[in-house]
Amino acid sequence: MNNSLTIARRELRHTFSTPIGWIALCAFLLITGFFFVLEVRWYAMESMDSAFNPMREPMDLGAHLVAPFFGEVSLLLLMICPALTMRSFAEDRRQRSLELLLTSPLSTTEIVLGKYLGALAFAGVLVLCTAHYPLLLLWIGRPDPGVILSSYLSLFLLVGAFLAVGLLASAMTESQVIALVVTLVALLGFWVLAAVGMIGDGPVTDAIADASLFSHAEKLGEGILRLRDLVYFASFVGVFLFATHQRVESLRWG
Amino acid sequence: MIQVEHLCRRYGELYAVRDVDFQVARGEVVGFLGPNGAGKTTTMRILAGSLGASEGRAMVGGHDVALQPRAVKRMLGYLPEHPPLYPTMTVTDYLAFAARIKGVAEVPAAVTRALGLTGLEGVAGRLLAHLSKGYQQRVGLAQALVHDPQVLVLDEPTSGLDPAQRKDIRDLIRELAAGDRTVILSTHVLPEVEQICQRVIIIAGGRIVAQDRIDALAGRRRAVRLQVAEPGPAAEAALCAVAGVLEVRAEADGVYELSAEGDPRAEVARAAAPFGLLELSGRERLEDAFLRLTGVQEPAEDPSRKVLA
Repeated sequence: MNNSLTIARRELRHTFSTPIGWIALCAFLLITGFFFVLEVRWYAMESMDSAFNPMREPMDLGAHLVAPFFGEVSLLLLMICPALTMRSFAEDRRQRSLELLLTSPLSTTEIVLGKYLGALAFAGVLVLCTAHYPLLLLWIGRPDPGVILSSYLSLFLLVGAFLAVGLLASAMTESQVIALVVTLVALLGFWVLAAVGMIGDGPVTDAIADASLFSHAEKLGEGILRLRDLVYFASFVGVFLFATHQRVESLRWG
Repeated sequence: MIQVEHLCRRYGELYAVRDVDFQVARGEVVGFLGPNGAGKTTTMRILAGSLGASEGRAMVGGHDVALQPRAVKRMLGYLPEHPPLYPTMTVTDYLAFAARIKGVAEVPAAVTRALGLTGLEGVAGRLLAHLSKGYQQRVGLAQALVHDPQVLVLDEPTSGLDPAQRKDIRDLIRELAAGDRTVILSTHVLPEVEQICQRVIIIAGGRIVAQDRIDALAGRRRAVRLQVAEPGPAAEAALCAVAGVLEVRAEADGVYELSAEGDPRAEVARAAAPFGLLELSGRERLEDAFLRLTGVQEPAEDPSRKVLA
């Protein structure tokens, strides 16, 4: 475990020592700020409307502001996470520094976990950088803190899953660009699966939607904590990390 | 210290190394010699644990490389053909990272020691990307040394360097080998092996074709160069008649180049005396041995190659 943390620390420092880390951070803050302003404006207009319209249900900060905002943030992270993991193994293989890890007294599990934790730490920093938005809401209004907390949980779980997919893609190729594109396409695929659930209402479409990360994250974001969603994310990450482990091991034997 | 038995590495049907057997004793410096693609790197990577063997086994310090990889890696330092560097790190940070993942207890002390051994103190704060190739190679060596391993495996440590840098690295390796350390290094620069190693293992086409002490291997063939005042067919015939001389090549100005088995210098001098011997020198020909051992072996296995050659 100590070895994994050593690798994770190096990965994190590397991300901050290259422009990509800072660009990702700046872009993320700018765009989330933009989303937040849009959502607040929309909410203000709608709540004004609902105040004068007795036919409408009252607006709720949690359901009508927090949840859609975090939905947008998760989509943004879908775009950014592939850029965070594309380097992990691809760059190491290309510049041959993977040889250092492979010939050091480390297990493949320690290497994979280290790379994963390193990416996760940076993504965690990104997610925590959104903390001032809900704090602002708590200051001006009375949103349900439970919804905010579960929204964060769903963000962290989503990010963990995005990074696990990206890590596998990065271990499959020496090209960072290929790793980036493959991860992005795969994640968008999962997003499309969730959209299928909205088309129909049969058992087939439900099953397809259930396979998607986003359907599980959605329930969490609404403040509904279900064991099956947590199990889904845990096994999703587990499967992808295991596949990455096998892939790295095959670099030794293949 | 190192025992390799029937080591094979297959890629599909193709053998990169096949039935490689050798042993290296503690404190020995062994050169791994062979043309490009002979299987040197493959064998070294198997020893270092970044590649698995298809068959056979390799033991380092009594530990099986495949079964106890951690124990082996703790006592082995490996410098790959391309030093495994992170260009965005400084020399000190990089070595500290290497020391940590190699399980060194006293990281700062180990880094200072490695910096001192490889003469990198002056560039300790520089980024690896900004170092010259010679210095990058030193950092690669420092990385292999940082956990004070008993065994050093160096894959072409002087390739791509200029002559001065090459000499530096050679001196450094000699220094490192002076103690109790066991060193295996691969190269295709022959004089290097003669200068550093006590023993050589010649590998060609994935198989070991010879292994012996350098003097023994080179001693089998010797080149004798001499100049006589009165060259001619008579002189040539006299030289040819000397026991052990295999080939006589006449050059301009009465210079003859002989290729001989053993050491026939005294006889050659006697035979050349009537023709006015001006100069005679002999040298051991590892190169001859190398070319003979690696050159003859390959075409015999693959007849299609003969045509191309």
